[in-house]
Amino acid sequence: MINLKVVSPQKVIFEKEVEMAVLPGAEGDFAAMPNHSPFISSLRPGQMAIMSSNKVDESFFVSGGLVMLKEKVCEVLVDQIEPLSDVNSSNYQQSKTYQELEGNETALGTFEQVVNNPPYK
Amino acid sequence: MPNLKELKNRISSVKSTRKITSAMKMVAASKLRRAQELAESSRVYADSLSFILSSLAGNTKNSSDLPEILTGRENSKISLLIINSSDRGLCGGFNSNLFRNAKKWISDQQGQGKSVKIMTVGKKASSFYKKTDLDIVASFEDLNSNDRQLQVSEEIKNKIMELFESNEIDEVSILFNKFVSAISQEPTYQSLIPLSNEETIEDESEFNNAVFEFEPDKNELLEYLVPRNFLTQIYRSVLESSASEHAARMTSMDNATRNAGDMIDRLTLTYNRTRQAFITKELIEIISGAEAV
Repeated sequence: MINLKVVSPQKVIFEKEVEMAVLPGAEGDFAAMPNHSPFISSLRPGQMAIMSSNKVDESFFVSGGLVMLKEKVCEVLVDQIEPLSDVNSSNYQQSKTYQELEGNETALGTFEQVVNNPPYK
Repeated sequence: MPNLKELKNRISSVKSTRKITSAMKMVAASKLRRAQELAESSRVYADSLSFILSSLAGNTKNSSDLPEILTGRENSKISLLIINSSDRGLCGGFNSNLFRNAKKWISDQQGQGKSVKIMTVGKKASSFYKKTDLDIVASFEDLNSNDRQLQVSEEIKNKIMELFESNEIDEVSILFNKFVSAISQEPTYQSLIPLSNEETIEDESEFNNAVFEFEPDKNELLEYLVPRNFLTQIYRSVLESSASEHAARMTSMDNATRNAGDMIDRLTLTYNRTRQAFITKELIEIISGAEAV
């Protein structure tokens, strides 16, 4: 198990033990698992998926940020985060993330894509 | 002899002042709690970010590889000071302490041959510095309504990046009242450009046993990190300053309430004495009138 800690500039969003978390790294998706080599990467907009036994337990959209991976700790510093269970294709334009991303066409495009058809299901 | 009616009016007006100050104290106390929570919960992000930044910067042995915005320019000529004041008054020495401190800092800088530019946050600073002949590059107001702190911090960050890139400023420091406790706030400077590296030393032991891989490469990461770091530092100072403001207001309003109470006691005493003096005088008049008959 790895300790996944998700932090926004305002507060700690959540912190919990997970088997695996898939994150949208700047140069490709990667999975955070225990005993990963120490690693720092920036994030591109995309889906963050918390998985156990090859199934997605929880799924989020992150608009970007940083991740720091140590032996048993995965710290994700996010700009914006939205649980995908809260948004669907009909209401995503009302979501907070959508409003915050206003003007950033590429990120919005990714958001729409992730909401409608997440890469990890 | 004081006029009875006048005294009565005085007492009632001081009483209503006391009501107002004690209400302000309550409001400040509850706002303080919220501001303190916000300041504390934002610390996690700021700490992690500065840890990442210091492991990144520490990893680069040659400091000349680091961008100018991190290390500062050689021969810096123009300093920018960001002053974090409050939007409202009635908070004791909160703003005046800050301005006194800033004045000293500015003359220090000018003594070193640098010119100083000012960026004001909060209405009090902007109205104070308008009267001076200092160069104000930007003013930001109305931070505490509708949780605009993060948004304003972003605007400040964009502004300083823009000014730095166009060579209008070489150094940036930020001045704010640091929240020490509910009764003590301390004007504090923090240097943004060049980056102050207090945290680097602190975290060294922990960071030595982990050598990180970076993705994308360091320079690209720094490009993302540096503005992020500015934003969090500014945001942090804004939050600290708002917690300090509420704390300062709470203590000064507490004092004001107590002073009003003392004043009411004194005035009531005078009022009663005067009233008695009137009664005694009237009695003497009646008795001496009766004796005359």
